Amino acid sequence: MSHALDVFGWFDNEYDGEGFRTCSVTSFDVHRSVENYVKLYGVTAVVFLLIGGIFAFTIAMTRWEAIGLLEPGDYYRHLSMHAWSMLIFWIIFMEIAILYVGGPMVLGRKLPAKWAAAAGYVVMLAGSVLIYYSIWTVSGDPTSDNAPLLTAYVPLEINPLFYVSAIVFLIGVTLAALPFLLTLWDEKRENPGKTLPLVTFGAFVAAIIAVQSILGGLIAFGGALAWQLGYAPWFDASIYRQWFWIIGHGTQQINLVAMIVVWYLVTHVIGGAEVVSEKVSRTAFILYLFFIVMGAAHHLMVDPGLSAGWRIWNTSYAFYGATFASLIHAFTIPAGLEAGRRKRGKGGGLFGWLTSAPWRNPVFASSIFAIILFGFLGGITGVLMGQLQLNMSWHNTFATVGHFHSTVVLGTTLTFMGVVYFVIRTMFMREFVSPKLTTLQPYLYSGGMALTALMMMYVGILYGIPRRTAEVVENIPGTDFSIAGAAPLFDVFGLVAIFAIGGGALFVLLAVGSLLFGDRIEPGDGDLAPDGGSTTQQATDSRTIAPRNDLEQAEDPDDPVHAYEMRGTFVLCLIFLAVFVVAYILNWFLLTQLWSIGA
Amino acid sequence: MTSPIKPPEGNWWDQPVNRRESIWLGLGVGWALVLFGWMSAFTRIGDQNPIGETYRVTSEELQERVDEFEAAAEERDDGALVPAGDDIYVVGYQFDWDGLPVVLETGREYDFHLGSYDVQHGFSIRPEHAYSQQINLHVTPGKEWVVPMEFDEPGTYHVLCNEFCGEGHRGMHNTIIVED
Repeated sequence: MSHALDVFGWFDNEYDGEGFRTCSVTSFDVHRSVENYVKLYGVTAVVFLLIGGIFAFTIAMTRWEAIGLLEPGDYYRHLSMHAWSMLIFWIIFMEIAILYVGGPMVLGRKLPAKWAAAAGYVVMLAGSVLIYYSIWTVSGDPTSDNAPLLTAYVPLEINPLFYVSAIVFLIGVTLAALPFLLTLWDEKRENPGKTLPLVTFGAFVAAIIAVQSILGGLIAFGGALAWQLGYAPWFDASIYRQWFWIIGHGTQQINLVAMIVVWYLVTHVIGGAEVVSEKVSRTAFILYLFFIVMGAAHHLMVDPGLSAGWRIWNTSYAFYGATFASLIHAFTIPAGLEAGRRKRGKGGGLFGWLTSAPWRNPVFASSIFAIILFGFLGGITGVLMGQLQLNMSWHNTFATVGHFHSTVVLGTTLTFMGVVYFVIRTMFMREFVSPKLTTLQPYLYSGGMALTALMMMYVGILYGIPRRTAEVVENIPGTDFSIAGAAPLFDVFGLVAIFAIGGGALFVLLAVGSLLFGDRIEPGDGDLAPDGGSTTQQATDSRTIAPRNDLEQAEDPDDPVHAYEMRGTFVLCLIFLAVFVVAYILNWFLLTQLWSIGA
Repeated sequence: MTSPIKPPEGNWWDQPVNRRESIWLGLGVGWALVLFGWMSAFTRIGDQNPIGETYRVTSEELQERVDEFEAAAEERDDGALVPAGDDIYVVGYQFDWDGLPVVLETGREYDFHLGSYDVQHGFSIRPEHAYSQQINLHVTPGKEWVVPMEFDEPGTYHVLCNEFCGEGHRGMHNTIIVED
């Protein structure tokens, strides 16, 4: 039954008398209320991705100074728009959708407190529009009205409306997260002895980190607002920086945990992965819970006024507790895929489980590329720049920008693009308008973006190119000096950036095109999991996959998944560790070439 | 049961862990300890550490100290200051560095007093002969951070601001001239 306002037929799936349907791909019992809100938040997120992508183009073409598209004042406004659209709006709207999948959808429950999901949506949207307004109307006068960028650092004079809008957005997120938390409350009340599925457990950890982040954000933005209005003259740069990074870095840790949850889900549903050890995977999530909030200190490594001991303890997440957690997932996710596929007879030799994997499936490819690129580019550089001393070479250089484009774009955005594809197929029930281009898109985007991030790191570390500046290689106003040597490298950067943005634009075209013009998939007519994914039935004809009816093999006590070979994963992890060690030594070598610094 | 979307059944905690997985866990713990140990040890044995005393200071007090420093220094024909002692001041403001340009000697340890009169700035320095030898320290108003440095190679060291501080941010450049 379609709603009168539902002109595109996006919310008209068939449900039974109680409002449930069974998904043919995942076998989830999906309730109408959950599905509709996942769609709503997901579609809205894609709109923000489009807006952020337009600004990605304008700022990349400004940093490519041979083009020099924008004037400096405009550049900072566009940079602020890009940061908030991508890092906050696109990702957080997606994360609310992922919470609803990870909680009520996985558990087969209705969405509780639907009013909160609706109110949260409206308030988040209002906050976003207000933030856009307060960025776009910046005059650029350094003494009264500066562009906020992402960080809005006190005591830079910034329109107080900006801090108000940010608080409004945070309140919206809190409301939107309520139904997820209530779901867990109800589930545990009804089934007190039952363990949560791993995906739900991970999503819960993400939600707890979100609560920590939101509290930090309220203090940071509320304090900045009080300072702006003259009520808190003591709220200074250092206090703001510490509280801001509780949310600034905290939100990135939500991204991390949310995307790991998606990786477990996608490798299982599409690739047939299993959980090789519930104990180890869950312990890793718990390590995040305890230690990851300390990551805020990464931004304060070269700040005055903090003792070396405080910085070392916090930036190491207390002896690298959270890094260890990531190293665990780096093994358990591919190992789950390897063991699960070997068990299903799809993995001979060392890497047969990988070569036979459904690489043409864009949901699978997005997640796998994200795992690899996040690990090698984002994860390693994150640990490097999080070392007290190495941070001196990285802090506020363009290399930092390369690092977080590796984590947030190559990791989170790429993963979430796969989630959007998945939602289009299994919830909107649409075929892709062009299956060939959809297969290709993750390859184009991840390739282009990886090169872009690498170029950013290269010019940042080896040429000391600063971030957040409109001119540095062609002309620095008021001096003959410029870092002209890096100009040719920026030509490469500009070209690969255009390529990456093209890959992102293709995603938006394919997603929106499929939603508007894609053929409807009738129930039971899915070929999303060509290898059977969570089904073990061999798909002879891609159109006739039976819904999952068997996990008997998995349940068989004589055939436990942990007994399967994981040597392919082990080799891959050793390669990863070797790259890590080499990058570590190189960075330290570079640092020790410098003059003597520090007490 | 080994699906991430189904509740695990039975005593999943006591399920054995694959041998290679256990080895990886050991390697992970080992590497984490190396990372921590080296970072910590380097503060004692290393020559490059972002460590120094910090003092609370108002912008007016800091301005007075920089004025005293500039008055005591000898000004060369090119406008660069030759400091009278081992203390030098580099203080950011919208949009330049006060206390610069300054002339320093190789092989002599100076105490850099880093700070800001107005908003947050980034002290980003590299010699003209080797861009890859660059370091970056953050400066905030209200704090005077004393970081010792000793240069071993002569040359012109360019100081840029690398934290956004307003529309003129990109032009915030000055120099430190190091001579034998």
